[in-house]
Amino acid sequence: MNKQFDAARRYWLKRGVSATTLAMVAASGLLLPQRLLAHWPRDAYQAKTVEDALLALLGEADMIDDDAVYFSVGSPPTYAVNGATVPVEVNTTLKNIEHIALLVEKNPSPLAMSLVPDDAVMLPFKTMLKVAEDSDMLAVIRAEGKLYVTRRYVEIDIGGCA
Amino acid sequence: MAVRGKDRIRAKLQDGDTLVRILLAHPMHTGRGKDMQNELVPAEFIQDIRCWRNNKEVLTIKCGTATSRNPFFAFQLKGGVQGDVITLRWVDNTGAKGRVETEVQ
Repeated sequence: MNKQFDAARRYWLKRGVSATTLAMVAASGLLLPQRLLAHWPRDAYQAKTVEDALLALLGEADMIDDDAVYFSVGSPPTYAVNGATVPVEVNTTLKNIEHIALLVEKNPSPLAMSLVPDDAVMLPFKTMLKVAEDSDMLAVIRAEGKLYVTRRYVEIDIGGCA
Repeated sequence: MAVRGKDRIRAKLQDGDTLVRILLAHPMHTGRGKDMQNELVPAEFIQDIRCWRNNKEVLTIKCGTATSRNPFFAFQLKGGVQGDVITLRWVDNTGAKGRVETEVQ
């Protein structure tokens, strides 16, 4: 009888402990959305200049202006009627890509998008961005510890509210 | 909130590789735009997009506010066969989530 009681006691003790832990986790679970957001590099996206954004996102690295990154903006290239949807296409001959970033120099916050592709991903990568005014756009690829940068100038007829 | 369309994803084989095209339905408010009453529309934009092929993560996209409304993405995946499952999940800054899934055609 005593043993049985003991077992029950243990059972409920265990339950109680895990319940408290759960409760604590749930309480700290208020952190959950924040933890989710922590995956999002807030500093980089709120940076006001291209340099700050790149530093916050990719850290210190040698910058190389390079032709290995093919990059086209707008259709027809270098011109877009509507700044709210500017087509962008990034391609490269580089291997072992660690990170790709797209930036628009004169947007309120220059960093527009950053990608972390797996080996299985093949470029070109196409997307659409908002561009506030005529501006340089940058495609930055981090591969083997170096930053490869290519710039394109794009003219905008109607500014996209970026 | 505006009426939401549907997130769309298409994946098909092209010369032995998988071409994936994604069109999400999202207003992507930057927090700087104004509505008809000239009041600021609060920021609401997709921050994090993740893409899986057969439960293996292949691509992570972090978006800033400069991603266009109803974001569009296209990329290719090496190899692949018909019936591969491509899954995509997104999270926006308000915590709203979405998930779409398709089979490679």
